[in-house]
Amino acid sequence: MMKTGEVGIKTTTLEKALEWGRSNSLWPLTMGLACCAIEMMAMQASDVDISRFGSEIFRNSPRQSDLMIVAGTTNKRMAPRIKRIYEEMPYPKYVIAMGVCVIQGGPYVDGYSVVMGVDKVIPVDVYVPGCPPTPQALTYGIITLQKKIRNETDR
Amino acid sequence: MYKIISDDKDKGGMRMITLDKTDLIEAMTDFKNKGYYLTCLNGVDMKDHLDVIYFIHNFDTNDYISVKVSTNDEHMPSLTKLFRVADWDEREQYDLMGIVFDGHDDLRRLFLPDEWVGHPLRKDYDLKKVQYVNMDSEGNEHVSFDEKEGS
Repeated sequence: MMKTGEVGIKTTTLEKALEWGRSNSLWPLTMGLACCAIEMMAMQASDVDISRFGSEIFRNSPRQSDLMIVAGTTNKRMAPRIKRIYEEMPYPKYVIAMGVCVIQGGPYVDGYSVVMGVDKVIPVDVYVPGCPPTPQALTYGIITLQKKIRNETDR
Repeated sequence: MYKIISDDKDKGGMRMITLDKTDLIEAMTDFKNKGYYLTCLNGVDMKDHLDVIYFIHNFDTNDYISVKVSTNDEHMPSLTKLFRVADWDEREQYDLMGIVFDGHDDLRRLFLPDEWVGHPLRKDYDLKKVQYVNMDSEGNEHVSFDEKEGS
């Protein structure tokens, strides 16, 4: 759009405007359960800054956040608490499963105390594999989630 | 007077002694009077018996000793009257190895829910029988073998 000084008008639908707003203001919840939380903190820090993509700050309350990054091994005692925190989040809410422990059990696949995938407890939008995933990989997961919210395809 | 069954050193130079179960309290009282404190407590499943290994440390001389005690009937005398630090260590060993410490005031499970069946670090624990945990609205945990009732 040219800067001519006149009032610029762009037509869109209400759904598209809502999707644009939601995808560019994802506020994650600090759900660090194990070592993946270190990479999640590195993603938020200034080296790989997710503020560039609109995920501004980590909130400590589930009522103020709309993205849950489940980072770390999900134990069987932790799984009902994760479900309860997920139910306390307001709609619209999204979940990123970070690391192979959260995706399918990872190195604890025959263990007695680990839930084999957090998608047995809560619905998951984006899976980010790795042990742990790099901050760049998790940033790519957030960009993928933004494309999913805006109903864009990945290619 | 307690009797030391074997006394040797490992590759790192740490003194390793083996005691009988009935001599444990007397020996540990003697070590405590010499300035040793309990730092760590391990349980080992040797299939026909259980071993408990106590690591004691003297802060003045920087001297570590590992004290190995065997038990055949899953019972051990508790050291909580001597060292309060043994409280949670013994609860952990009771939780994961099933060693019952006689004389412990509050011998509950430390990590797993109270309704959990079996002790998972034992060699005869069946990993095929998966247990599932759920939580009601008051925060009480329930364990079942049914996949539909928990995660």
